[in-house]
Amino acid sequence: MRWRYPFALLAVLALFATACDEGDPVDVDDPTTDDPVDDPVDDPVDDPVDDDEAAVGGTLVAAIGGDPDQLDPHTTTSSFAFTVLENVYDTLVQPGDDLTPEPALAESWEISDDLLTWTFTLRDGVTFHDGSPLTAADVVASFERIAEEGANAFRLGAIDAYDAPDDLTVVMELNRPAPNLLDQIGAFKGMAIAPAAAIEAGTLGDEPIGTGPFAFVSFTPGDNVVLEANPDYWDDGPFLDGIDFRVIPDESVKVTNLETGEVDWIDSVPPQQLDQLEADDQIVLGRVAGNDYWYMSLNNDREPFDDPNVRRAIAFALDIEIITEAAKFDAATPNETAIPETSFWYFDYAPFGQDLDEAQRLLDEAGVSDLTIDLMVTNEFPETVTSAQVIASQLAEVGIDVEIRTEDFSTWLADQGDGEFDAFALGWLGNIDPDDFYYAQHHSTGGFNFQGFADDEVDELLDGARVETDADARKELYAQAAARIVDLASYIYFYNPEILEAWSPEGTGYEARPDVAPRFATTRKG
Amino acid sequence: MTEPTHDPAEELQAPDEPSEPRWRETLSALLKNRLAAAGMIVLALLILSAVFADLVAPYAYTDGDIVRRLEPPGRDHWFGTDELGRDVLSRVIFGARVSLQVGAVAVGISLMVGTLIGLISGYRGGWIDAVLMRTMDVLFSFPVVLLAIAIVAVLTPSLRNTMIAIGVVFTPIFARGVRGSVLSVREEVYVRASRSLGASDWRIISRHVLPNVAAPVIVQTSLSLAFAILTEAALSYLGIGVQPPRPAWGLMLLDAQGFIPTGAWWMSLFPGLAIFLTVMALNLVGDGLRDALDPKQRSIIQSRGVT
Amino acid sequence: MGRYVLRRTAQAAVALLGVSIVVFALIHLVPGDPVRPALGTRFDQELYETLIARAGLDQPLLLQYWNWLTSALTGDLGVSFRTGQPVTGALLQRLPATMLLAFAALLVGLLIALPAGIVSAVRQGRPVDYAASSFSQIGVSVPDFWFGLLLILVFARSLGWLPPSGYVSPLEDPVEAIRRLILPATTAGVVTGAILTRFVRSSVLEAMGAEHVRLARAKGMPERYILRHHVLRNAWIPVVTITGLQLATLLGGIVVVEVVFAWPGIGRLALDAVVRRDYPVLQGAVLLIATGFLLINLLVDLLYARLDPRITTS
Repeated sequence: MRWRYPFALLAVLALFATACDEGDPVDVDDPTTDDPVDDPVDDPVDDPVDDDEAAVGGTLVAAIGGDPDQLDPHTTTSSFAFTVLENVYDTLVQPGDDLTPEPALAESWEISDDLLTWTFTLRDGVTFHDGSPLTAADVVASFERIAEEGANAFRLGAIDAYDAPDDLTVVMELNRPAPNLLDQIGAFKGMAIAPAAAIEAGTLGDEPIGTGPFAFVSFTPGDNVVLEANPDYWDDGPFLDGIDFRVIPDESVKVTNLETGEVDWIDSVPPQQLDQLEADDQIVLGRVAGNDYWYMSLNNDREPFDDPNVRRAIAFALDIEIITEAAKFDAATPNETAIPETSFWYFDYAPFGQDLDEAQRLLDEAGVSDLTIDLMVTNEFPETVTSAQVIASQLAEVGIDVEIRTEDFSTWLADQGDGEFDAFALGWLGNIDPDDFYYAQHHSTGGFNFQGFADDEVDELLDGARVETDADARKELYAQAAARIVDLASYIYFYNPEILEAWSPEGTGYEARPDVAPRFATTRKG
Repeated sequence: MTEPTHDPAEELQAPDEPSEPRWRETLSALLKNRLAAAGMIVLALLILSAVFADLVAPYAYTDGDIVRRLEPPGRDHWFGTDELGRDVLSRVIFGARVSLQVGAVAVGISLMVGTLIGLISGYRGGWIDAVLMRTMDVLFSFPVVLLAIAIVAVLTPSLRNTMIAIGVVFTPIFARGVRGSVLSVREEVYVRASRSLGASDWRIISRHVLPNVAAPVIVQTSLSLAFAILTEAALSYLGIGVQPPRPAWGLMLLDAQGFIPTGAWWMSLFPGLAIFLTVMALNLVGDGLRDALDPKQRSIIQSRGVT
Repeated sequence: MGRYVLRRTAQAAVALLGVSIVVFALIHLVPGDPVRPALGTRFDQELYETLIARAGLDQPLLLQYWNWLTSALTGDLGVSFRTGQPVTGALLQRLPATMLLAFAALLVGLLIALPAGIVSAVRQGRPVDYAASSFSQIGVSVPDFWFGLLLILVFARSLGWLPPSGYVSPLEDPVEAIRRLILPATTAGVVTGAILTRFVRSSVLEAMGAEHVRLARAKGMPERYILRHHVLRNAWIPVVTITGLQLATLLGGIVVVEVVFAWPGIGRLALDAVVRRDYPVLQGAVLLIATGFLLINLLVDLLYARLDPRITTS
């Protein structure tokens, strides 16, 4: 079953794969140009009629970089599908502007004293696009399906049983305390709540039915996905008549089409065009620090990389500022740990910096010379290829010869699963909770620990943090774990890229989000 | 991209009588042809700089200074620098190595395999001939670039597989042509005579058939090299040929495309110019060779086009 | 004549059968499992087995081929591994863009080649002839994708006259559609034009050397009249032939130009299928283009035979 891990890895990866090019945590745009964020606060919530009156209507044309492979939220892992589905479906809770969970379909929740029973109260009066009311049975059916479908089943690992004592109450029984449960069940629309009837009938894949601000109209593979406004939406909006998501794979075409007004919004911007687009007053650039990170890792099961000092030597030999600059221009922030500065869980730690003497000393001490590293990268994510070339020239300075192996992603994943590498470079996209950042990657039993890192202290810290419910205590545990992970160079971290989107100045009420989930509910055009 | 859809049998038709290798004549005819001579000079320079790239290139092709990325052509970097601050001139020079290697190996494959198939087919005849030639017909029924793409898709993209794919694609050209020549020689009186005198197949082939086939094969080799280099560049540009960090010209153009909006024209200009000059030189030499070896033959256009 | 048609058609049919075997074999030549890599981000045992079954990969090889061939003949090329959508639908959706570009490129090629070829034949050995042959020489040597990049640099980026890339359906916005068509059609058309120019020139030259032309000239007929009534009347047959073949060639080779200009045609679909390991789509695209290629070649041969009866007897 060596396939399973790679594909699960990819699942998480793909979650945000739009993020192929984004940049570094810089402050969001100048608020004077347009500041749509606060509309919901001023508007009377839950009044679609009012919304209609306020609306200017119109169809937003949104360019996405690729075809959604399918539109079933529980099975797809395509970032393009989620760009669309973000506006069709809701989850029980959803990430707020700072990515902490906030109420969505669940109005409130209670946790039992033993931390093992969670009781959610659903919002009253929410209806699906087909007119049927949202009930607890729909929630239970959705979670059961997610658990069955595989792609996101691991997020429900802490939950043993679901119950729907009445139409608006959902009870979850846990097998262990799960401080990050809200994040697990609401981080993205892969955890969408769909009608039980549609799940039963098996029609979800062909015709998405959700509770979101927009309802599905049509999907032409390779061409577009059309959504129309849901007048009965439970939250603020929508103000648009609909959204036309057009598939435009070519980045420069996307930019051109935005410039010529053929599209109103594009899902990514090539980092090398940032300066140029920033100067263009016909375009609003959305830049926000993202939670993704890119890194390289060495095969701990192979000599001499089993020696932490050899891994550290390599970390000392690298200049991650240069790697960052090369791969992302100004659109990323170098970071020697995983979690970006903007996150609550950020841990300020940078023990390396480039120090060639120290690198050479460590290598000599380990008795390593004439080292050749087989570094595996994939053209699916060109920034890994770019980084690899910089890494190669930097490591050459301490006498290490890097042989870059560029593969297509399928082959790359297979080789990763088989441990067929000295080193690889990739990114993790779409993580929010620190458990997502560290457990699977660095716990000795972790499902994505392809580098074979094993450290008892790290295991203990990660296991403890997983069930620690006090946020500050938990943060401290993760800081300790992170310090050790960085010190022992399980991963050598490079940078956190920025989320880059762009739209026409006609579009207001929209803001790029750090989780790359484009929400058009409160967007207006014109 | 266009392809050789012409019938090469026609083109490779050997002269009617066995000819001695006319190297000296050919060379002097070639040198008198000013275009072909120019092509040979360009080719010679290319080969020299590919072989001695380490000496000729001002920088190593991996050497990058990120601070000096995307610099336009200037005193330190005649062809400017790329997105990693690497010297474009040096990469173009090292790129010649990749292009010439792919071209030579790929055409080498099709030359050997194709000639062998053509010899067997033409000399043996019968059902072997029928099977081999129908197979070649099928390969010939695919547009060249498309077939190369399909082969690479099966084998996964890499330098080696690019050479294999192009080699396969060009095999039928040689096979058909050689077969045609063999057929015409086979029934010549002197061949029949030597056969009746008990000469072995191998002797007949090496003494009578091969010399007749040589001239058209040489011409075809030159023209195929041009087209193989074009095809390699196209595959690399499509991202399914040579993989980074090798500095293939097509790959450099693929990188360059993302920087066209930023105005880095030198990244697109020079690698393309290198492909263009190489292909043009090979075409001119091929043209000249044909004129020298058989003035009646049609012109070079056939390497890319036409029935 | 009838026998020639029959023979040539049978030949094409055999080749087509061979093509179908090669295309069918593609998926079986893949080292390892062809389905799993395509599933990529959404591995799932059940889906995997469904796809295997739908692609018929669990059956004996010969039966698989038979089923695949018979469905292909009825227009069913299976479903994409990635999207689960029918391949035929995806191909038909992309076909108009490719056809539009191919015909536009051919038009550009003829617009270049007819005047250039005729003039250089009539003015043989003069500067204009050298100019035309230099153009041909350059045109056949220039990598089309690079030429396309240069056009983008000059006409889209520097001068800003035309959009750099992208496709707009002529049914949606005819003016914009033409603006977007100009650069890619020119890119593919110049190479085509370079090849055609030589052919037009040599056909015209050949026709000019014919007996009745020399006779007409000896009678003192005006050059212009001779050109129109004697030369071009005879020269057009090979030109039509070569033009047809160029169309076939264009269809096969346009993938690169489609990529340069982000043109959503069959070629790009095939390339995406390669990258995504979506073998049914790749098979469908290759089969479609190769069939078109064969058919055009057949039609051209038959047409040529009809126009020039000598061919059937030789």
